[in-house]
Amino acid sequence: MSEAVFQETTAEPRTQSVPLAHLSLELGHLYMEDFEAGPGRLREHFAEVRIWVDAARASVARRGKRPRISTCFLIDDYFSRFSTPAELIPMVLKEAEKAGLVIDYLARESACAVADRVELAESVMHRLVESPPPGSYGSRPSVSQTGWLANGQRTPTASRSALGQVKGWEPPRETAARNHSVFMDVELWSEKDGRRLWSCPFLAAVWQLARLGLLRHLGEPVLVPADWNGGDFPQDWDRLPPLTRLTGSAAAPFSAYRTCTLMPNRFLAVEDAVRLILDQTDVDAGALRQVAERSAREGMAVPAAVAQRATYVFYEEPGDSFEAEGA
Amino acid sequence: MTAAHGQPTRSVLACGEVRTCLLPSLPALDGRAATQLLRLRADEHVRVSERPTMYALSPETLTGVDCRLPTSNGTKVRGVGTVVSRAALTEGRLLQSTAYFSVPAAGPDLRRPWGQYLVRPGLVEPFGKLPQQAAAEGALRGAERGELDLGMIAESLLAQLRRHALLDRRVPFKSSPTRLRWVARRIPAGERASLANFTLTEGGLRTMELRLPQDVPVAAAAGLCEDLALHDWLLTTVQHMLDNSRIGAIDGPSVVEALHPVVVHLLHLWMPRAHVDPALGHLWDVLEQKPGFSRQWENLSRRIRDRLALQAVAMPNQALSTR
Repeated sequence: MSEAVFQETTAEPRTQSVPLAHLSLELGHLYMEDFEAGPGRLREHFAEVRIWVDAARASVARRGKRPRISTCFLIDDYFSRFSTPAELIPMVLKEAEKAGLVIDYLARESACAVADRVELAESVMHRLVESPPPGSYGSRPSVSQTGWLANGQRTPTASRSALGQVKGWEPPRETAARNHSVFMDVELWSEKDGRRLWSCPFLAAVWQLARLGLLRHLGEPVLVPADWNGGDFPQDWDRLPPLTRLTGSAAAPFSAYRTCTLMPNRFLAVEDAVRLILDQTDVDAGALRQVAERSAREGMAVPAAVAQRATYVFYEEPGDSFEAEGA
Repeated sequence: MTAAHGQPTRSVLACGEVRTCLLPSLPALDGRAATQLLRLRADEHVRVSERPTMYALSPETLTGVDCRLPTSNGTKVRGVGTVVSRAALTEGRLLQSTAYFSVPAAGPDLRRPWGQYLVRPGLVEPFGKLPQQAAAEGALRGAERGELDLGMIAESLLAQLRRHALLDRRVPFKSSPTRLRWVARRIPAGERASLANFTLTEGGLRTMELRLPQDVPVAAAAGLCEDLALHDWLLTTVQHMLDNSRIGAIDGPSVVEALHPVVVHLLHLWMPRAHVDPALGHLWDVLEQKPGFSRQWENLSRRIRDRLALQAVAMPNQALSTR
């Protein structure tokens, strides 16, 4: 069939592709309490992380000859604001360097909510498609009303039978249970004074999708990194770009076929919740196809399900060792 | 689990339902407003086409299902997957919503992790083997209690759009919505698509069966069915208005009154296959031959114009001054 002579661009939207590395390696996620614990905590963190970075690199090298790995570091400026970029970032970079690590990309947590005036979290929320418990025949999804997302059916709320007796407790049920359930219910946001506060797992799910190259806004890439000019960092978090590329054009692309996240084991529950969210997110079909095709062409085809593309190393929290009182 | 690893799963059957109604708004929406109405997802484009008619198509959204598929012979088949729904607005006036899904010939006896269904949107997998004939007939018959209900999914999208703040929820004239249920059996790629059946039944329900080559996307079939449903709605509605206006019995301004909305809002909407995939455009020819959709429309339009012309000749001053 010959190509049509008459075309309307608004009738045939396209999904732009983004550059992709093999692995996006997250070297850490800094919260206020970590910062308050001083540079010693960061030093401990990077020293521990270094071991797993080497392991992650070895794992990618096993799949392909010339691995493209980019590293990133996330700073929380969403749940609490502390210090300033000018004070904090040089310290982070210095401690990383001491451990022999290079941070390619630096992101602000608030960028997962809104980046460059695009409401990323809101967009991802509209893409949630709840896993239907058996018996679902097309009734309306309710996640946008409740703000909670589960991996199965909740315990029914106390109801009375026809005779007015209160029924006994009924257990919740995990939809994908094998014999027994591990039921999980994740709060995606809360509302306070009319303002929506996204939950940590939800923003972390947005962060994973960004790192996996699966986010677009009207077909255009989002969270496009801004290059650091080598000068001072700003005094205000709002003046720091949502995503900064620190190592210039030498860095591998920010987004990648797979992600690996290195974090203390207290984040295990949060990341399990992230997987639950990713498993129920209908990502941009065009972006999904691009990643699948390109990874297959490079001989490192990605797992079909998005949640399976994210791996983790949970390590023992530095400075968390038990010390007998008075010792 | 091989099908989960990226290869497109070959479907043997697709089922859908289209609902067509008048947009509850006194003014017709322009392109901008149509885009706002149909933006079901903030991060995805509403497709807007201005020629030959103004047509806007929403992004597709998914609904997860895990339930029995309707079958004509009572065979119990559990299906798991996602149903696509989307909405379209033509000339800012006619609103349609469609829900549809495809089914492969067979599926695993175990439910997969949900994320694996989401990467194949619009596919519902049967547990075991699909009884193809019974499932196709069942889809046309419609869902019974607890069975996959395309009508409900299409209707809930329509209901959501009708509540949109952009709309004043008033209609320029009365009309009834119509439903069209369709099934498409897959035939080998390269063969020619064909229309096997188009049936009008009572209560505004139409059913349609087509044969769809593997290389034509199911969304194209949904588009064709929307186009046919839209024109069928126009015929049904205008015919009904003519019947109700007792065109032969009454005279004077009341005829003008009764036919005015047809002329203002509907006559220009007839534009068969304007937004139909070229691979399926020829399916219109069958309906143009018999019963002759466009012939009937021309006939209806001529009757209306003749009636109004007669009226103008009879009472030139009055007719003009009342409008």
